[in-house]
Amino acid sequence: MREVIVHPEQVQAPRTGSGITRRLRRNIWLYVMVLPGLLYFLIFKYAPMFGLIIAFQDFKPFKGIKGSEWVGFEHFNRLFTEPDFLNILSNTLILFGFNLLFYFPIPIVLALMLNELRMNSFKRLFQTLIYLPHFMSWVIIVSISYVMLTMDGGIVNAVLEQFGLEKINFLLSPEWFRPTYILQVIWREAGWGTIIYLAAMAAIDPQLYEAARMDGAGRVQQIWHITLPAIRSVIIVLLILKIGDVLELGFEHVYLLLNAMNRDVAEIIDTYVYTAGLKQGKFSYSTAIGLFKSVIGLVMVISANKLSKKFGSEGIY
Amino acid sequence: MNKKGFAFLLGTVMSLSMVLTACSSNNNSPANNGGNQATPTTSTEASPEASEPAAEEPTEITIMLPLNVAQTPPDTIKNEIEKLTNTKLTYQFFPADTYEDKLNTTLATGGLPQVTYLKNQATFVQMKGAIRDGQFWEIGPLLSEFPNLNKLKPLILNNTKVDGKLYSLYIGRPLARQGIIYRKDWADSLGLKTPETVDEVIAMAKAFTEQDPDGDKKANTIGLADRNDLVYGAFKTIASWYATPNNWGEKDGKLEPDFTFPQYTAAMDAMKQIRDAGAMNKDFAATSKTDQISLFTSGKAGLYIGSMSDIDSLNKDLIKNVPTAVVDTLALIKGPNGEQATWAIPGYNNVVLFPKSAIKDEEALKKVLAFYDKLMTPEVANTMFWGIEGTHYTVEEGKAKVTEDGDLIEREVKGFKDSLIGEAETNGMYEGFYTLPGRINAEAFTKENEKIAIMDPTAALDSPTYTEKGVELQTLITDATYKYIYGEIDKVGFDKAVEEWKKRGGDKIIEEFNAVYKK
Repeated sequence: MREVIVHPEQVQAPRTGSGITRRLRRNIWLYVMVLPGLLYFLIFKYAPMFGLIIAFQDFKPFKGIKGSEWVGFEHFNRLFTEPDFLNILSNTLILFGFNLLFYFPIPIVLALMLNELRMNSFKRLFQTLIYLPHFMSWVIIVSISYVMLTMDGGIVNAVLEQFGLEKINFLLSPEWFRPTYILQVIWREAGWGTIIYLAAMAAIDPQLYEAARMDGAGRVQQIWHITLPAIRSVIIVLLILKIGDVLELGFEHVYLLLNAMNRDVAEIIDTYVYTAGLKQGKFSYSTAIGLFKSVIGLVMVISANKLSKKFGSEGIY
Repeated sequence: MNKKGFAFLLGTVMSLSMVLTACSSNNNSPANNGGNQATPTTSTEASPEASEPAAEEPTEITIMLPLNVAQTPPDTIKNEIEKLTNTKLTYQFFPADTYEDKLNTTLATGGLPQVTYLKNQATFVQMKGAIRDGQFWEIGPLLSEFPNLNKLKPLILNNTKVDGKLYSLYIGRPLARQGIIYRKDWADSLGLKTPETVDEVIAMAKAFTEQDPDGDKKANTIGLADRNDLVYGAFKTIASWYATPNNWGEKDGKLEPDFTFPQYTAAMDAMKQIRDAGAMNKDFAATSKTDQISLFTSGKAGLYIGSMSDIDSLNKDLIKNVPTAVVDTLALIKGPNGEQATWAIPGYNNVVLFPKSAIKDEEALKKVLAFYDKLMTPEVANTMFWGIEGTHYTVEEGKAKVTEDGDLIEREVKGFKDSLIGEAETNGMYEGFYTLPGRINAEAFTKENEKIAIMDPTAALDSPTYTEKGVELQTLITDATYKYIYGEIDKVGFDKAVEEWKKRGGDKIIEEFNAVYKK
């Protein structure tokens, strides 16, 4: 027996190449399978990054990247000295804070509630109903809100009036922009956000609950001691990813809500890029702002990841 | 991965073909509709060679233009134009809402076709950088070779010159179509006389709000329906009644922007007065044009200030909801000084440019210009603007009367209509024949308006700072104007915004405009 085992190894001994080629040959199909994904990232994510150099040029479309003049940090300079810059940045960060504070916990709560439902058919129906809004475009949602919130016969103001209260100018007042924004986000996305949590909860071993019940744990205790700890890592991963998107607040949504009266609080980096940059064909300036935004996002992700590791969780990498 | 990819591909192909078939069946178009649109490429490169061997060979021209309707029109009109002009045309329509984006990115990739329409005057201002850089053919010296193009109005051509050189053909528009569209039945039932002054217009707006003009004993009407547009909405027109200059005006021999004039403030006060009285939609700063129109057509609002030619569509939808409604138009409003005034556009609303990237030499350019020369003959111009005689319009009293089927026009003709260069006087097409009394009045008012029109003295002038920052800076003033009307800031606050405008580059714009104005 021993001889038989030794034998094939000796035959293979004269290797054809280094360790890498050998491993490559052995796992060839795995590499083939990963290739499309790899190509996707190279072609659509990494290659376009070369275009970032126009942030340091006075890019003229007709001259191309080669022919355009280099201007160094001029565009960044302009951005940071723009009188509105601080205002726009803080608007963006505040809106992000609202997102994190008010929107992020809601799918978790919803998922917990759905998870506690006994009747499966009702659970499924409810789940479908709350994630349907996700498929509606912002244009529709904002238009519906307009009709409901307008001071000229909108139902919300009509109800307020009925109760003898003052009409509220939801659409135009700076104070109401953020609540309107966040409520619309919650309405559209909360249901959709529950899906991942529900999947994580489905993976929890039912024996844990049984054991807990034997020990006399109530429903709330089961949630607190079993469900939440079990989905903790999922929550943290999603939180880090969310933080990475710190400045992706949905251009379309904010742009639709933006008007002359609430610009002081509603102008965010994305809308500024559109009005001051793209609409006027200033590609270099727009790219510079975009780059700035990405850098902030990167810094946030790295620090959030570090932080989560410090507290003993896994993080995303 | 592979399976998913295939499924995705299949899905795309299926939905694409569905879209195509849906389009062609909706449009009653010839069966080759989908095919024609799917093969727009190659033509740009092929045109010079293709037309060399025989003069009879049709010239291939690719045209990029904004689309103001929801659907790409079928080829009915295109085929007819091709026959008349011996060309093979490829139209690349892009939705007007996002046209600037499309234009900029296509320019960036060097993919503009032989004929490129811009979107409006503002787009033209932004394009000047590329024009100065020599991206487009200068056509000024060639115009005299084309008898019909040579008829284009020199005054308007002058307004479209860049540094004194002509690069574009213009799409003509009446100078001043601004005015009032109002509910005549309401005015009659309240016994109001036709307003002649601004104050009477404001009084009418208030009466429409307070005196229950629809007689249902409910306070459910308002006067003015306005939208989030200070220029083509009500504000600029009201301001011009107060004799506010059109964008720029002369003060002590020097050009100053309109918002530094006291008349501008008077106009803001008027708007504020209307809004404070609840005589207009209070949310107008957040109201889209669609919502504004539905306020009027649902019978809730009685006044619409803007382009008088909107009366046809407003009337059509209004009588669906309120069969007894009667609408009429009104202009020639007197300001507090007792004089009539209104603002005017520079005589064009869009221009066509000819990119050098797609037109290789002057020979090819002349072929394209020859097409536009033919467009300016009555027969071709009529087809482009009115459609096909008998199908889309009939001739009555030497004027074109469009068919009752408004949807047919919208679908088949509207997309091409806005691309016809020149105006009726120069391209020889029929004037419109109208039956709606309000529209007939509107046409008459438009002619009268020309006599009292306030022109923009900077229409043909140029300021580099304005081109660079003008639009962005204007936001300061626009926001301040709204805030003043809403009562959030007073004159002091408004003046602060003007100071800010000056500080951030406005002073430079004033300086630059004045430097070229003196010459």
